[in-house]
Amino acid sequence: MSGSTGSAGPTPAAARYVGQSVARLEDPRLLTGGGRYVANRTPPGTGHVAFARSTRARARITRLDVTAAAALDGVWAIWTAADLNGDVGSLRGSLVLPGGGGPPDHLLADGDVRFVGDPVAVIVAASPAAAADAVELIEIDYDDQAPVLDFETAAGRDDLVHPELGSNLSNSAEAWPPEVDEAMAGADTSVQAVITQNRQANAPMETRGLLAEWRAFDETLDVWISTQSPHETALAAARTLGLAVHQVRVHMGDVGGAFGQKVFLGREEFAVMVCARRLGRPVRWIEGRSENLTSSNHARRDRADVSLGATADGRFVAATIDHLEDNGAYSNGGSPGNGTMACVHLPGPYRIADVGWRTATVYTNTCGRGAYRGPWQIESVARELIVDMLARELDIDPLELRRRNVLRAGDLPHNTATGLTYDRISPSECLDQVAEMIDYDGYRASQRESRAAIGHAVAPNGGPPDAGTLPGIGLAVYVEPSAIGFGALATEGATVRVEPDGSVNVYAGTGSHGQSLETTMAQIVADALGVHPGDVRFHQGHGTPYGFGTGGSRSAVIAGGAARAASAGVRAKLLRIAAELMEASPDDLDLGGGAVSVRGTPARRMTVAQVAQAAYMRPDALPDDVSGGLEHTARFKAPPVTYSNAAHACTCEVDVATGAVRLLRYAVSEDCGVMINPMVVKGQIAGGVVQGIGGALLEEMAYDSDGNPLTTTLAEYLVPSAAEVPAIEYGHVVTPSDTPGGHKGTGEGGAIGSVPCVFNAVADALAPLSVRLTAGPLSPDRIRAAIVAASG
Amino acid sequence: MKSPPFEYHRAGSAAEAAGLLGELGFDARILAGGQSLIPLMNLRLAAPAHLVDITHAPDLAGCGANGGGLHIGASARQRTVELRADTLAIAPVLADAISNAGQVPVRHQGTVVGSIAHADPSAEMPAAFKAQGGTVTAQGTGGGREIASEDFFEGYFTTALEEGELVTGVTVDAWPAGTGHGFLEFSVTAESWPIALSAVLIHSSGGAIDRASVVLGGVAEVPLRRPEAEAILVGAEPTVEAFEAAAEAAAADIEPLSDSFGSGAYRKKLARVLTRRALTAAAERAGGEA
Repeated sequence: MSGSTGSAGPTPAAARYVGQSVARLEDPRLLTGGGRYVANRTPPGTGHVAFARSTRARARITRLDVTAAAALDGVWAIWTAADLNGDVGSLRGSLVLPGGGGPPDHLLADGDVRFVGDPVAVIVAASPAAAADAVELIEIDYDDQAPVLDFETAAGRDDLVHPELGSNLSNSAEAWPPEVDEAMAGADTSVQAVITQNRQANAPMETRGLLAEWRAFDETLDVWISTQSPHETALAAARTLGLAVHQVRVHMGDVGGAFGQKVFLGREEFAVMVCARRLGRPVRWIEGRSENLTSSNHARRDRADVSLGATADGRFVAATIDHLEDNGAYSNGGSPGNGTMACVHLPGPYRIADVGWRTATVYTNTCGRGAYRGPWQIESVARELIVDMLARELDIDPLELRRRNVLRAGDLPHNTATGLTYDRISPSECLDQVAEMIDYDGYRASQRESRAAIGHAVAPNGGPPDAGTLPGIGLAVYVEPSAIGFGALATEGATVRVEPDGSVNVYAGTGSHGQSLETTMAQIVADALGVHPGDVRFHQGHGTPYGFGTGGSRSAVIAGGAARAASAGVRAKLLRIAAELMEASPDDLDLGGGAVSVRGTPARRMTVAQVAQAAYMRPDALPDDVSGGLEHTARFKAPPVTYSNAAHACTCEVDVATGAVRLLRYAVSEDCGVMINPMVVKGQIAGGVVQGIGGALLEEMAYDSDGNPLTTTLAEYLVPSAAEVPAIEYGHVVTPSDTPGGHKGTGEGGAIGSVPCVFNAVADALAPLSVRLTAGPLSPDRIRAAIVAASG
Repeated sequence: MKSPPFEYHRAGSAAEAAGLLGELGFDARILAGGQSLIPLMNLRLAAPAHLVDITHAPDLAGCGANGGGLHIGASARQRTVELRADTLAIAPVLADAISNAGQVPVRHQGTVVGSIAHADPSAEMPAAFKAQGGTVTAQGTGGGREIASEDFFEGYFTTALEEGELVTGVTVDAWPAGTGHGFLEFSVTAESWPIALSAVLIHSSGGAIDRASVVLGGVAEVPLRRPEAEAILVGAEPTVEAFEAAAEAAAADIEPLSDSFGSGAYRKKLARVLTRRALTAAAERAGGEA
């Protein structure tokens, strides 16, 4: 391997595959059942893990008896906190190291339980069924305590989720200059709202899971895991188990989704590794669906007290947000939450001179909070809802109000009141494009007609309206902080190796779990090396250069930058060697179609395979200053943030009698810079939009008043199916970023914009009934109740 | 999601199934399509020690017109029943109910009789069966008997079957020409459980309604017949006002429970809206046939 930075070759790589909707290289495997997940791997002698979990939200354990379970046929081990907790160090993720506050590191619940689902004991058995049978035989007696369930009152409670911390307040921050209040007071109009977001679950198709195998003969740990971050897995496993990183090999196969859930290791995953080391045999845990819904992580449980002040003609002058978030009991990776990140993005795509914000994060006796696709998106929900409320207050059309305030090309670079600097974004252009796509003006005209037509029919006898269908249209605009590259997140590495036969291997520190990196990274490398993407194979996990993994919409920019730099280094070397062998100047060579040729003399050519063969097998034929082999490792350091942006629009109709919402059209105009693969961009947008539709209309992890989860299977926790989702229409504005390739991240935006967009469409439909919607999900029951309440 | 241990038995005939049930006692359950029972076992909400599989018993597989009614054997698959011409001719409300249940792959596996015998009060097929009316044929080691659909459902997942009895089939009674049906359910998503449903039939020989059946699902511990609504309909012209009055009566004194899909009050509201809409659909169909 050579140096750490790559230089562009003598002739720049042409973008032949980047920008094309290259068919996904992973699809033949995934679509024919050839995907290989953790559950596909069962070495002989594997022990299967199940966890006995708390059935109480907050309680002392007064008796814990595993005798009967241990006696069950096929049970190999049952361990509790007393057995295992001493085996491990800190359970924090690498971004929240020990000393950063937060709850105690309890591998298993120790003396008390702090949410329903808190793991109390771990069982290793000969089969998953035997392990599940053993769970039922474990006897636990509890002394119940009053649980802290309501996050809005948690901070003031004397009952503590974590007695060690002395408070249910985890952390807080604020930046609320006095001039913000003055500006708000001086506004011609201001609107306020308390917006609460529903608790949601990431709900990946593949639940968490890992297979850990301790090899006593050389004291190494092999881990096959469903992850977004194989290197974080290795670092955390080593730190927690007291190993050197080189004692841990983390392997990843296909991953069936994560959406933020699988960056950091959970307590169960550490426990499985500990069991493997203790037993000296392969140990596997495949999380059940109910476990995933109730015990992995929750998200989005936020409250935002938001206000927006404007001049009489609708120019925004000030905005404030007082934000509160529920961190549950044990947050994913020990994260202190997303409050500051959310608040500083409140201004979004608009000019707002004065912005004040305050945020607090609290603990409750519920499943811990974790990252979920756009973890800070309450900023867009709060802002875009309050913008529509202001529009209704001022009687200005919501599109027009946005146009009066949205950042335009001439405003850039733009410093927000919260200290961000935006450049190379296009919110105004995306807003215009999406309005055109959805035929906004035409829709408004037909909406006026249909509202007039149903007029009296919806409100008979003075009672709540009981018939008819109301049409609505919603908008949402946002700026997405993609490829966040602060501190430890700033770099990714990649190694590109042309093998002696000319085939190409790429090794990256990513954790693609549906992002199509197998294809998009191959496109970047193929362009640099003049080969076909199908000649490039992409590898993740053990042996790859360190990287934070895939999350935070970072891979296109940061991992893409690393792949680009590494392949540029290989390209330069390949051309040097070819030039030597063909007695030409590197500057006179063309690289493409899998071959190097001398410009103007096409007969003088060598295939990439021939050059590679020489690079490895004929070292004496190489230039004196060129070492053998054909590979390069590079590390790319990204800017702190690469902003992308988008505008969403959708239309819906609401059945007044039942409160049912049907989405009719959904359009997205997105600017993610130069697209590596437009089909993949569409896929990212579609996936995010569908999740946001779920978040707006369907998904709610509900607890009863004792802290028992009510939505414990996908029969109760409702996610959208094809039947609930309209065809999504896509528009693109391309403003290249200032990173190599000009890409921007677009992994999370779909899930950020769609929640407020759907909310606004439903609120628009119900505007004639003076219905105000501030709490999700917009279930039929909740909408109908709001209609009835507004008519009273 | 692993079932507790159980022993599997395969019955080759109705008599053999009844014998096995008698022999194995209360801890045995009939396995037909398994679309309700197996998920409950995997969630460990049900833990029968024995399963008696009846899907290999030829005498339980039949389905078709039978003496003016529609006979459905205990192992007849939902999708088979749903698509049969005689179902559409004799019991279209049942065909509608089946088409709303689960997805097509589930209906290829699930059985109509299994759903009825499972007696989930929010399920489609029990409500449609009760709305149209018919009989359940039960067999035990001591012999067979018939139970009227009206008397079959006794509570949540509880029927008039006695220990050791299995349902060998049901017969849905035919209604005369001039009948229209309506079956409407409300679920939050296309794939999720119905949170309320209404199954109705009305008959007229031209002019006033002379026979009516209104059954609600998802609002009580059994598929719930609404005699007050039926009384309003019989003798009335099929008008919007009559349907609104009947729908109001249907929902008047029910007290549904709340869950994560909706409150009891919302279910009550749905019962009224769905019944109103189902009656409107039934009237259009009755008119077409009259």
